[in-house]
Amino acid sequence: MTVVRAPAASRPMPAQRGQLRAGARLLRLELCHNAMLWMLPVAAGLFWFTTYRKAMAMPPLWNLRASTMQSGALLAFVCPVAGAAAWMGSREARRHTADLVTITARPRWARQFATWAATTFWATVGYLGCVAALYGVTAQQAHWGGPLWWPAAVGAASLPALSAAAFAAGTLVPSRFTAPVVAIVAFFALALSTQLIDGSQSSWQISPVVTGPWDVGPDPGVGTFYRYLPDLSIAQVMFLSGLTLAVLGALALPNGRGVPWLRRPAAVIATAGLLAAGTAVALARTGKLDAHGMIAIPALHDAANDRPLSYPPVCSHTAIPVCLNPAYTSYLPPTAAALTPVLDEIASLPGAPARISQAAAVYRQGRGTSVSISMAGPLLSGTPPVFHMLLPFQLAGPAMTTGEVAAAVRSTAGPAIVASVVGDGPGATPAQRAVAAALRTSAGLPEAVLRSAPTRQRPSGAIVPLPVPAQAAARRFAALPASVRHAWLVRHLAALRSGRITLAQLP
Amino acid sequence: MTAGPAHNVPATAAPDRRARPARPPRAGTRLLRLHAASRRVPAAIAAIAACAIGLRIALLGHWDTYGALQLPLVFEAGAAAAITVTTASPIGEPERVTGRWLPFLRLVTALALTAAAAGALAAAGTGAQMAGGPLDVLRNLAGMTGFGLLCAAVLGGGLAWAGPLGYLVAGAYGLYTQWHRPALTTPWIWPARPPHDLGAAVCAALVFSVGIAVISVRGAHDPAGE
Repeated sequence: MTVVRAPAASRPMPAQRGQLRAGARLLRLELCHNAMLWMLPVAAGLFWFTTYRKAMAMPPLWNLRASTMQSGALLAFVCPVAGAAAWMGSREARRHTADLVTITARPRWARQFATWAATTFWATVGYLGCVAALYGVTAQQAHWGGPLWWPAAVGAASLPALSAAAFAAGTLVPSRFTAPVVAIVAFFALALSTQLIDGSQSSWQISPVVTGPWDVGPDPGVGTFYRYLPDLSIAQVMFLSGLTLAVLGALALPNGRGVPWLRRPAAVIATAGLLAAGTAVALARTGKLDAHGMIAIPALHDAANDRPLSYPPVCSHTAIPVCLNPAYTSYLPPTAAALTPVLDEIASLPGAPARISQAAAVYRQGRGTSVSISMAGPLLSGTPPVFHMLLPFQLAGPAMTTGEVAAAVRSTAGPAIVASVVGDGPGATPAQRAVAAALRTSAGLPEAVLRSAPTRQRPSGAIVPLPVPAQAAARRFAALPASVRHAWLVRHLAALRSGRITLAQLP
Repeated sequence: MTAGPAHNVPATAAPDRRARPARPPRAGTRLLRLHAASRRVPAAIAAIAACAIGLRIALLGHWDTYGALQLPLVFEAGAAAAITVTTASPIGEPERVTGRWLPFLRLVTALALTAAAAGALAAAGTGAQMAGGPLDVLRNLAGMTGFGLLCAAVLGGGLAWAGPLGYLVAGAYGLYTQWHRPALTTPWIWPARPPHDLGAAVCAALVFSVGIAVISVRGAHDPAGE
């Protein structure tokens, strides 16, 4: 036996640095061999089909597109992410390599963590790409405001939670059926959990697909006159982060047998995660619909968010300017065009509004899931008087095209403006009703003669026929040349408003 | 080594198709059983039964319009995913080079499972207010299974569930757009079409036919060992 003098071995790398390098290499390997990479085109395609197209069909309002993106992106990503994570979680058992990798230098939790992190990384990359595309296009189209990051953050926090829960399921029940089962369960839970929401004080609002009062849906009237409230989003992020920690901690717990020092931190992390998630659910339960249409959670609420936003209104160049919140700039031309005939009739009359201004809506929670939406403040206020109105889509309801918005403005705001000038309404004299009907007729408003004056409770008015004498007077007055009618109104409008003009005195 | 002896092999040693020994009477059944076992067909049947039972239980609950419409689709997608997962082969190349009956076995397996799933889901909706009814079940299930089979041919049997589950999201969105414009009217999103819509039925049947043809001839794109 001979002894060979070998050169002294190079100084060993510090243990911690070596571990980090090995961990990074493991993560790189996992990133290259991850099923989520294959699922990215599926998720991106679903996002485009279900969310991007839908958002682009909506008006370019940040609040509308951000809330649509939060729920839509999550539903588009849920199946690919949950399925891929469960598939990766069951990999060792499926490939019968569990025993083989157990004897490697890396503890099991480190291997699992790397696999989960790689899955989550690709899911997040895909999600952020989708958010960037949607927000990028919206930034070019929107007339006012900026991107809302809280809805995007909720989506980003959902992916690790979803991935962790599915990964744990794949680890615990390793089978080729686990991935589709987990994906189906995740979709079912997310898409149909909202069925359990009852009113604004429901724990189920913690579901990350919920962006506001569930029964109102994406509402163009929210987040433009007042700040977008992050209260519910904060609770959701807290819940999702807690869930992620709890699942990851629980995953590391059984491995504590092999790595004794890990047991206690894993238990602490799991417990902290559970506490955070539970607290978030409890907070969501204290939420309530605020007057501006969003969910306010008292413990998370910042009173500064209740102050109205200041904005430079955009106004039309009509006889009486029509002014809207700049976020709705794209609706100004059709709104102004719809009101022009009415405004031409009443311009320069004594008591006519100096401006038509868009107002904010007020939301009130009704019984159960019902929500009532009305205008904040009176129709007419200030000196010189300003007429306030809501655009039709601020009252929630189905999406409207520009033409439908114009038609709705014409049939709701038009008669209301006339009524406010003439004094038509409950208790009006026959002469006031006849003049109002005549002005509506000459402005070309639908069913002008038959429709009664609109009220705040009935903005579009009810179809109530005028008495025959009033109808005849209205037709006679409407048949006058516009200049004669206008001159008569300039002279007699004050008397008409005070009820001192009779039907017989009308020209 | 010389090549001589090889030339002396009598020609009769070559296999003669006509002179092939008669197949034992139960060999076909055994082959089918072994193929089913290798593809986890019993587990798939259990999953399909679970979907049918789940649908039945869910139909007992109270759902709003969205829920009631989307509910059957979720369970149909689950059953379709279970069918497509059975395309994964644990044997791989050796099976492909030796199994002459493999295309027929794949065809029979996929058809039988689809028929069983359609029957089970339709039965689950009997006597309950299931949106769409049995025709809807058959059309949606067949179409989604077709997508899954095509996915199996591209991604492998293990990831074939991406087809039906991806389509589930698209189909649920199609149903959603019936209330929130712009409505999707393309027959390719057949869950959003009425049960008697011919175009939707043709599209679903086409996808199913192509899927089953591709998977029968080519099999799933699978590595061996899983």
